Amino acid sequence: MQRKEISVALAGNPNCGKSSLFNVLTGAHQKVGNFSGVTIEKHEGHLDYGAYRIRFVDLPGTYSLTPYSPEEIVTRNYLIDERPDLVVNVLEGPNLERNLLLTTQLMEMNVDFLAALNMIDEVEEKGISIDVKQLQRLLGCHIVPTSAKKKIGIDSLLDHIVRVYEKNIEIRKNKLSFRPEIEEAVDAIAGLLKREKELEAADPRWLAIKLLESDREVYHRVQQYPVWVKVELALQEALREAAKLYDSDPEMLITEDRHAFIRGAMKECVRFPEERKSTVTDYIDMVVLNRVLGLPVFLFVVWAIFQITFTLGSPLMDMLESLFGALSGAVEPLLVNPAVRSVVIDGIIAGVGGVLVFLPNILLLFIGLSFLEASGYMARAAFVIDKVMHRFGLHGKSFIPMITGFGCSIPAIMATRTLKSPTDRLTTILIIPFMSCGAKLPVYVLLSGAFFPPDVAANVMFAVYLLGVVVALLSAKLLKSTVLKCDSEPFVMELPPYRWPTLHSVLFQARIKAMMYVKKAGTLILGAVVIIWAVSNYPHSDDIDRWAEAESVRIEKSAGSEADKKTAIEALEYRTQSLQLQHSFAGRVGKVIEPVIKPIGFDWRIGIALVTGLAAKEVVVSTMATIYALADTDESSGELAAILKNDPSFSRATALSLMVFVLLYIPCVAAIGVMKKEIGQWKPVLLYSVYVLVLAWVLSFITYRSALFIL
Amino acid sequence: MSELQVGDKAEVTAVKAEQAVRRRILDMGLIKGTCFKVLRVAPLGDPMEIFFKGMYLSLRKAEAEGISVHKTGRTGDGVPMSCDKEGVSCCGGAK
Repeated sequence: MQRKEISVALAGNPNCGKSSLFNVLTGAHQKVGNFSGVTIEKHEGHLDYGAYRIRFVDLPGTYSLTPYSPEEIVTRNYLIDERPDLVVNVLEGPNLERNLLLTTQLMEMNVDFLAALNMIDEVEEKGISIDVKQLQRLLGCHIVPTSAKKKIGIDSLLDHIVRVYEKNIEIRKNKLSFRPEIEEAVDAIAGLLKREKELEAADPRWLAIKLLESDREVYHRVQQYPVWVKVELALQEALREAAKLYDSDPEMLITEDRHAFIRGAMKECVRFPEERKSTVTDYIDMVVLNRVLGLPVFLFVVWAIFQITFTLGSPLMDMLESLFGALSGAVEPLLVNPAVRSVVIDGIIAGVGGVLVFLPNILLLFIGLSFLEASGYMARAAFVIDKVMHRFGLHGKSFIPMITGFGCSIPAIMATRTLKSPTDRLTTILIIPFMSCGAKLPVYVLLSGAFFPPDVAANVMFAVYLLGVVVALLSAKLLKSTVLKCDSEPFVMELPPYRWPTLHSVLFQARIKAMMYVKKAGTLILGAVVIIWAVSNYPHSDDIDRWAEAESVRIEKSAGSEADKKTAIEALEYRTQSLQLQHSFAGRVGKVIEPVIKPIGFDWRIGIALVTGLAAKEVVVSTMATIYALADTDESSGELAAILKNDPSFSRATALSLMVFVLLYIPCVAAIGVMKKEIGQWKPVLLYSVYVLVLAWVLSFITYRSALFIL
Repeated sequence: MSELQVGDKAEVTAVKAEQAVRRRILDMGLIKGTCFKVLRVAPLGDPMEIFFKGMYLSLRKAEAEGISVHKTGRTGDGVPMSCDKEGVSCCGGAK
């Protein structure tokens, strides 16, 4: 059967239950993408209803349709450019007054819409009575009471969508009238705009209202037409008039009139119970936002999220790792050609494995974060910690991603999506890698353990972590006072009432993030890991192989016990690996960069480790183990520590300098991949890489030189 | 507004802030004539939380400075309940 298609956009305030309603409506038929050009998620889904296929788009939650936040711009542009057949304005029933602002703006836009009066169950519980019929008349649209949670009114909503679309039921559209002076100005300007054919099609009244509101997007649009000269005069006239009569401006007057209209509608249609009872939210906030308890509660929540992500995640991560290990083991005998075997096992399986092992962490973190977000605590966390973050030019909400960075930068960077302002978000993304991640820990353990007595070693490590935090905060301050100066998000934020999120929506959010990571970042990261594998394996020297062959024959023939021979063969294998690594591109790069890293105390061997460390930070340790030709490549090997300690070119100063460098220099390719994905452009990522290299070099230099001087 | 104490009730008399901030404040419904109550201040002294028209709103003191208010009363505690009816102005019959 050929179904008739209806496109429907869901619009509403944040926390109005729009997403839950979307989930109930579309069930399993969903897909998630991005709105063009921005990293705002676009959820689409469809539902077959009778002879119709209704396609839903869940627009981002906004309070208004001014062009200030990316969400507002996306929503507005979608309504103007995509022209959905119908808009469903989802209203948070218990908080109707604030929600109606968006409704008045939809009325002005002259789009076909109907309203879903959502959370109707909560409205009834609270004893609020709403005269839906009268409200319909005032707003000029159909209103369907719904509850996504209790699945009330869903069929009625679908029925209304179809009937409004087919114009089976009509309601007289109502025009929101402003005070006479504004109406005059609107009429005058709309009259001028009508002279331009193209502008006439775009609803002159709406354009006129927006011009009076000094809407910069509409300004740019209208300025291109010759009629602008006259329009500008009319606007100035309106400005003078508003100043003279009201000591105000048209933007303010229009807003006041909208609110006056809403106020009137509320008075007429909504009755609140006589006495306001304290709500659950009031009680929870008495503790959670308490002056004394607020901070401890906040720190506990952050600690809990961190624990869930990494303590609960690491056994799963180990399981995945051993799974990939077993896979390598199973595949190995099947591949005869050594080159192919190396590509498949060390390149592809290790690469894919390296990407997928982060999945448990990402899933767990996002289960935690979506729970915090949906329950309403996230806004409170920002409220509690904002003062500290603001001092460094950041937003209160930056805190949780930053802390997550101590575990792994990848989920942390993805977690910055809770930040609304693009510059706040970019700044936070860029400082996250300074929060020392778990993969850098083996490097610190090795070096501090080798060169410092146990009681000092822990302090050294702590100092490295602290340095990371200080560099992060100062970098944020630097970025915010130079290149990313403009438009910080104003901190005017609703603390939504606490609500128990549904399991489905929490898991759904986590699943989306996981999929996104695997699909988009996965391809990029995989590619990079394979490239790093290639540069550390090619070119391959046959001479070294032949030499090794001859050596092993010599050992076999030599006198001595079987055990001695075995040890000698093993030593030879590692020596061969070391020589091959030196011969490879990575090895050559290490040697080429030696003059540059000499002043900070590194020789070419460390140079190689830093190159391969781009694949993942713990690789720094395993590469050093290989290159210092060791029999044991265990990451926290005591043996490597002993060798380093006895190496004359490796001093305490070198160890400190290397720790600082590993802390600060370019993050692993996986993190870079996710950074690029979240920022959307290469340029900031590349500039950032240069910045961290210079910074790491300078701070390592200072560390090395002062350590040489003091120690 | 940034000088109000916890428990104070006040009425907005004017919103004068930089355009983007002002727009945001207005969109939240904090316009001339709106009555609200200061519920609390964050543990570190900033931002503050206010309650009006059934909504809990937090804003930094820097942003609050752009809002001129006229103090209408004081109840001493930070509980929204002691405002009048939810959604109705806390200035009582004054308006």
